[in-house]
Amino acid sequence: MQNVLKALRANLILGGVAAFTVLLFGGWSGSMIGWLLGTAVGYLDTHEQSIPHPKVGLRIGAINGFALGLWVAAASLVEGLILRPLSGQAIVPLPQDLLHAVVGLAVTTVAAALMGAMQGLPRRRSKLAHQTTHGSLSRRQGTLLILAAILLFFPFADRMAQTGWIATVIQVLIFAMLALGLNIPVGYAGLLDLGYAAFFAIGAYTTGMLSSPHLGIEWNFWLVIWIAAAVAAVAGLILGSPTLPLRGDYLAIVTLGFGEIVPIVFRNLTEIRIVEPISSLFATLLNRPELAICLVGCEQPFNLTNGETGINPIGRPWLPFIGSFSSTNYLPWYYLVLLLVIFSMFMINRLRNSRLGRAWTAIREDELAASSMGINRVNVKLLAFAMGATFSGFAGAFYASYITAIFPSVFDFSVSVIILCMVILGGLGNMIGVLLGCVIIMSADRLYLPQFAQVLKGFLNTTVLPNIANPALRDFLAISVDPIQMRLFLFGLVLVVMMIVRPEGLVPNSRRRAELHSEDVVANESLADVRSVG
Amino acid sequence: MKPWQKNVLYIVVIYFILLLGPIAGLDIPRIIQDIVQSPSLLFTQILVGLINGAIIAIIALGYTLVYGIIELINFAHGDLYMLGGFAALTVMGMFGMEDGAPLGTAILPMLVALLVSAGMCAGLNVVTERYAYRPLRNAPRLAPLISAIGVSFIFQNLGLFWGGLRSFIPIMGNTAAAPKSFPDLLPRTDIFQALGIETKIDFTVKDLTVLVVAVGLMVGLNLFVQRTPAGKAMRAVAQNREAAKIVGINVDQIIVLTFLIGGALAGAAGLLVGLYNNTIVFTMGFTAGLRAFTAAVLGGIGNITGAMLGGVLIGLLSALSDQYLSSRWTDAWVFGVLVLILVFRPSGLLGENLQEKV
Repeated sequence: MQNVLKALRANLILGGVAAFTVLLFGGWSGSMIGWLLGTAVGYLDTHEQSIPHPKVGLRIGAINGFALGLWVAAASLVEGLILRPLSGQAIVPLPQDLLHAVVGLAVTTVAAALMGAMQGLPRRRSKLAHQTTHGSLSRRQGTLLILAAILLFFPFADRMAQTGWIATVIQVLIFAMLALGLNIPVGYAGLLDLGYAAFFAIGAYTTGMLSSPHLGIEWNFWLVIWIAAAVAAVAGLILGSPTLPLRGDYLAIVTLGFGEIVPIVFRNLTEIRIVEPISSLFATLLNRPELAICLVGCEQPFNLTNGETGINPIGRPWLPFIGSFSSTNYLPWYYLVLLLVIFSMFMINRLRNSRLGRAWTAIREDELAASSMGINRVNVKLLAFAMGATFSGFAGAFYASYITAIFPSVFDFSVSVIILCMVILGGLGNMIGVLLGCVIIMSADRLYLPQFAQVLKGFLNTTVLPNIANPALRDFLAISVDPIQMRLFLFGLVLVVMMIVRPEGLVPNSRRRAELHSEDVVANESLADVRSVG
Repeated sequence: MKPWQKNVLYIVVIYFILLLGPIAGLDIPRIIQDIVQSPSLLFTQILVGLINGAIIAIIALGYTLVYGIIELINFAHGDLYMLGGFAALTVMGMFGMEDGAPLGTAILPMLVALLVSAGMCAGLNVVTERYAYRPLRNAPRLAPLISAIGVSFIFQNLGLFWGGLRSFIPIMGNTAAAPKSFPDLLPRTDIFQALGIETKIDFTVKDLTVLVVAVGLMVGLNLFVQRTPAGKAMRAVAQNREAAKIVGINVDQIIVLTFLIGGALAGAAGLLVGLYNNTIVFTMGFTAGLRAFTAAVLGGIGNITGAMLGGVLIGLLSALSDQYLSSRWTDAWVFGVLVLILVFRPSGLLGENLQEKV
């Protein structure tokens, strides 16, 4: 009992998140969030300790999971019995509520216990593994196994629980790809890029032009996605090259400039007519208009991007057995984008540990020193931009084909800023941190806020407004209390508070953490002294 | 690169600009024709550009002051200026001002609006500095930037919220997000006509007022920074914070002072733009902020004269581009010129070339 109380206190934040989720979504969402956060709790509460045996981990996980489950169950009951009637939603019978609460509690406990047990596995597979009782998995493999299971079964669980989160999760994963890509120039190479959405737009528009009836070219998605990535990479090289002599904030403003220019270009490339300038000069001088050589759009101006209306429809991927991906069935889309994210993570991880990746770190830490050590800073910087752009090219291609329509307004400055915020909020240069930042920002923005707005609106309409006599105040409440309208406010507040609480991000890069903790530095220095003496 | 290679490169670039420029409105024969046909239009556009540029310059000063002192791109500054516009509009509403109210009755509300919006913006800026930037002074370099972006979002949303207060401030109109019409108070009497000079250029009292106030603010700021002890302390802190501390300058106080001045300038700019364009909207802070920030960088960020020069240049460029190139491409041209200038002068027009610290 005491353990549970302690666990309740320890998991205050995650418990609050879980309870908030249940309060908003109700129904079986308790089991869903319990499953996800339970696993997180099982990991967080055990991974820093050395757990001698899976059973120990199982017990720690189960206690903490139970504590989290209590939050879920309590919130489930409050939602079903109090919040639903007050916000004017359909009332659920009491047994159903109890069932939601109990199942949520059970699922959370089991998920946490399982994850905890995995942390009790040996750190690496011992040579005597076949003789020991607890299998041949290592701790890392066990953890990955559970994560893989969650990712694979998520769509089915989502369908069973009728939460309908999958559409948002696909969006989260698209942005995860973008954030991972932006992490290369900003996090690894230290080049602040405020116009990253430009590459996203370039990837999406390449896909749009090459696989839509608009220009009469309808190529296969599986080919176009590579072309989009390549075009984005080349754009990264081109847009990166003027930034080479610049440093710091001047670099930031030039990337911002490109981020503004690219959507404007896509918006306005609707009436293209190109006339060769020298011949047209002669034509004007000799006053013989037929001399001017017209290159593009002679009869009527050429419409490349279709302006504000955008390109629509864009072809969808096709696979044997599945056929063409449809907009009603999220499953293939989910697995495709998941695959892309995992592929990106793998590639970026390899890049980071390569010679190039180490060169990025070197120019981030000290450009002058790096270049005097023989690193070609022109190539290294350009490659950072190009590599970052490549992944946004993938994301853009997927996005265009998933939405099947693209508009220039989707790629404005706020997208660049939101991606940058994900990267910095999570922890610059740390892949897990970046993903975490992405999940937090995107789910708050696309999942929680709309639902919160709906619940609040229902609450106002059924409970508060009828009881207010003053018409001015009522009018004010009815139009001003709208969380969707307060979206920017909440987002901004979260950014400010997060930065003040954790300026180095949620999961700081281990290298930067080392820089912030002076004792480690001192220890390293004394080590260096010993080495030089020896 | 050998000189002849460089020349070939320039010729190729110019050829491509001539080839592709017309798509974005850079059709030189047509532009020359337009200018020859009505030169007065050119002067009118230059005038419009100067006035808009002066307003941009005032906002740019806020960016550059803050950047000079704590090396922070204060993203919230543009939105602060928007809030200044809303405060001014609210004051106008309280005085019951309407379009074309006689100048005699409008002077007092305008002065009050100037005081209120400048005061409110200065206060908000100081509060922001205290709670959103000061705790991050020793944090990683990007943390204050993100914090500033957060504050910018908060301000923008406050503007939206303010615009939705129709129940309390009727002048805000019906829809929160819609542009608000700002009462047209400054008379549109043509000065040249009133003086009996026959020209085709429109130069009204309104233009003159805005221009005079803007230039007055800039000159005042310059005098303050160059001539007063507090200005001297500001320059000292900008140059070297540690050394300034050693000689007994209260650095925190100077930073607060900087934010105070920058905020007041933003508030004044908010009133000016309301009076000049007669419309304000909650998103205008973002666009104007972007332009102003660009202006500050163009002139060399941290450099006060540079910010003024950059602001005027950007105002001129966008006015001329609106008229002679294509208004749809104006932003692209502005940023294109910015990129071009930064490629040739990596620290802006007037920015000193920073020595790399080893």
